[in-house]
Amino acid sequence: MRRKHTLSLFMLVMGVALLVAATTVGAASSATHKVNTTGVNKGGTLKVNENSADFDFVDPQLAYRTDDWDMLFSTAMQLVSFPEKSGPAGSQLYPQAATAFPTVSADGKTYTFHIRPGLKFSDGSPVTAASFQRSWERILSPKMGSPLGVNLDLQNVVVGADAFLNGKASTISGISAKGLTLTFHLTKPNATFVSILSMQWFTAVKSNMPYSSTGLNVYPAAGPYYIASRDPGRSTVLKRNPYYNGNRPANPDQIVFTPNVDPDQSLLQVKAGQSDFDLGGIPPTAASNLATTYGINKGRFFVGPTSCVLYMAMNNARPPFDNVALRKAVNWAIDRPAQVRLLGAYAGKRTDQILVPGIPGYKPFNVYAIKGADVTKAKAVGGSAIASAPTLNVVHTTSSYSTQRAQVAEYNLKQVGFKINDVPTPATNYYQVIQTKGTTYNFVTNGGWCADYFDPFDYLNVLFDGSKIQAANNNNYSYFDNASFNSSLNAASALSGAARASAYAKLDQELMVKYAPVVPYLISTNRYFVSARVKNWIYSSYFGAPYLNALAVG
Amino acid sequence: MTHFLIRRIFWAIFLFFVATIITYLIFWVIPANPAALAAGKSATPADIARVSHFLHLDEPIWKQYLRFVWNLLGHGSLGRSYVNRQTIDSSIAKDAPVTASLVFGGAVCWLSLSIPVGILSALRPRSIMDRISMIFVLIGISAHPVWIGLILSYVVGYRLGLTPIAGYCNFFTGTAGAQCEGPVQWAYHLILPWITFMILFAALYVRLIRANVMETMSEDYVRTARAKGASERRVMIQHVLRNSMLPVVTILGMDLGLALGGAIFTESIFNLPGLGHELINAYNTADLPMITGIVVFATVAVIVFNFIVDVTYGFLDPRIRPS
Repeated sequence: MRRKHTLSLFMLVMGVALLVAATTVGAASSATHKVNTTGVNKGGTLKVNENSADFDFVDPQLAYRTDDWDMLFSTAMQLVSFPEKSGPAGSQLYPQAATAFPTVSADGKTYTFHIRPGLKFSDGSPVTAASFQRSWERILSPKMGSPLGVNLDLQNVVVGADAFLNGKASTISGISAKGLTLTFHLTKPNATFVSILSMQWFTAVKSNMPYSSTGLNVYPAAGPYYIASRDPGRSTVLKRNPYYNGNRPANPDQIVFTPNVDPDQSLLQVKAGQSDFDLGGIPPTAASNLATTYGINKGRFFVGPTSCVLYMAMNNARPPFDNVALRKAVNWAIDRPAQVRLLGAYAGKRTDQILVPGIPGYKPFNVYAIKGADVTKAKAVGGSAIASAPTLNVVHTTSSYSTQRAQVAEYNLKQVGFKINDVPTPATNYYQVIQTKGTTYNFVTNGGWCADYFDPFDYLNVLFDGSKIQAANNNNYSYFDNASFNSSLNAASALSGAARASAYAKLDQELMVKYAPVVPYLISTNRYFVSARVKNWIYSSYFGAPYLNALAVG
Repeated sequence: MTHFLIRRIFWAIFLFFVATIITYLIFWVIPANPAALAAGKSATPADIARVSHFLHLDEPIWKQYLRFVWNLLGHGSLGRSYVNRQTIDSSIAKDAPVTASLVFGGAVCWLSLSIPVGILSALRPRSIMDRISMIFVLIGISAHPVWIGLILSYVVGYRLGLTPIAGYCNFFTGTAGAQCEGPVQWAYHLILPWITFMILFAALYVRLIRANVMETMSEDYVRTARAKGASERRVMIQHVLRNSMLPVVTILGMDLGLALGGAIFTESIFNLPGLGHELINAYNTADLPMITGIVVFATVAVIVFNFIVDVTYGFLDPRIRPS
């Protein structure tokens, strides 16, 4: 009996000790928690979770993912960039480090920028034309091993870049930097060149910033913030650039990122005020309740558009989807609202076109069954070819959401008479399967595209120019290749201004009305929930996220 | 004894090579192409080939494996991540203390609970105490750690606000960018993970200890000790507990070794940046060097703990000490 009492006493002491420790430390932590304030305040620490993953790189010439870029935007000083404004105004480029948009030579091959004087890096050194020249050298240098520049074919955009990439030259001869004047000599006229420069790769870096195949984690930056510390997998801390003298907002004293947080736990942390918001958004199932409780875009729960279009791709290069009638039949058969519902409330806007709002040339139209599957119409359009079609290999990744999406699509396809062979494929292998020319898939349910830069070229030419189909790693994984459409795409890419927008609007419609190579179904939104102390939410549809430097904490 | 130690060391080396070779072979047959993943979404075949060469993926598998072994043994390097190009050594060096904090702290908790409860249950079988402990055992074994973790963080962390919902603080101070550190914050952030970790293992250990104690108490030598007039305290400590704890030492060594390889669920739920969390991230991105590095670490941990168990066992039980 005495032992029983001893044990009970021991457990009681342990329990009390744990609770006292918890309460004491909890009280200590909450003592530093600031009360809510209204208006835009400067100061404080903005605590940001990332439920998706950590930044893979924070070196601007190695970083590519959306969240990388959203973070780097706060540290970046670019020749041209987007203003911290909501809505369409936020997708209009403006000269940021440049005094004005470039002067372009009559032959369209020479672009000259003048850099604003007085710009400084976070270590106090000046920003010059050489700062932008260096970013081009770093992204193309073989010493960096960065795949990003060559992915965009940049070595063929600027004179001498190819020789530099291949180690035959120590500098890029087509870029000259003299003081505050920066000149680019292009190999041929390129209507997207200024848009390309808005990408985070071309931020100002110090002219002696070293090449590093592993990427630098901490370096001087010329934007409102700089990366003060980074511990990969643990945290990244941005601090205000003391030498920044521009007009861009820089509200929190510091921004702290914590990666790899479980989405549900992250939401709880934000509700409890232990974190301010999650850059990866909320769990889809939470959207409806949050909207009911807090309203939409009224201070805590925010829904904003992205530049991403989701679609299902049909393999146009092999039967049965080499038959355009069957491709159109599938566009009638797929239940778009059901697909959108799988992503939770406020997941986005149904669509049956490729271009998205904000992209020059976007003109909304509806051709197919956007309000739900039209089985009768699908059967009528497909005709007898449906019954004689071979069994469809339907490829999807193995996550629970992807599996559900495939199940709904397969149900729709079976409704009109297609025979299905379900092919679940691990995500690590998925793109290799579908992006290799000659692949045996017929239908893929995980497809989509987000803008690298705000230009219709980045959607229509990149995704549907059949002349660019290669042996592997094809973005055009519908393998749509129509000579007439290819030449129309090329012609449109040479235009500029209103004529360019008009040409791409026509091509966007022609693609779906005449050829229907894919089944677009959603222009996605991102959904965020913020802590009570977060103010000044300005949303960028380019990043699909708020401007972090503009957020204020109470 | 020397012969025994040498034999165990050779076994350890053999196991190490078998484990790493199997890991390499598994990833060789999985058709994911890390070079294509690393090269980005618009890469041409030439770009992929360039990245492949950069990462040495264009070499035959045996050469890659020999390069890995040479780097490990010759330079103490586990290579670099395909995803963020950080050194694997530095990642594991950062992650292992987190996992160790969870595992060893959790082990202290579960032993503190399971040893007294297991012994008391054995001393008074079918008593109220025994039945309550059996209910606890059933719950602990049946409930998944993810569920336990989520419930604890919701109730204790969110509703009651007594603990952090998730997160980790370093035990030692001085890490650049750390938002919290020091022993108090370290323990404060680990309370819920320890409890989560404890519930599953404590349930198993209570059952194990109860069965062992009951079995030992019916042994002839215990009856003899009592017949010789030894005090109950002496009988319990010298004869019952010492012998009934032998299997516990074995299981504990194996459990600790395995758990050090990554307590995946608990780390994921509580956002502890340990080996298990790292392993999940590496799997999702087909980061072969990281996965291999963690497998090597886990293998070494299991081998070392088994070695310690073998040696300890020899000391605890003279009958099995090698002559």
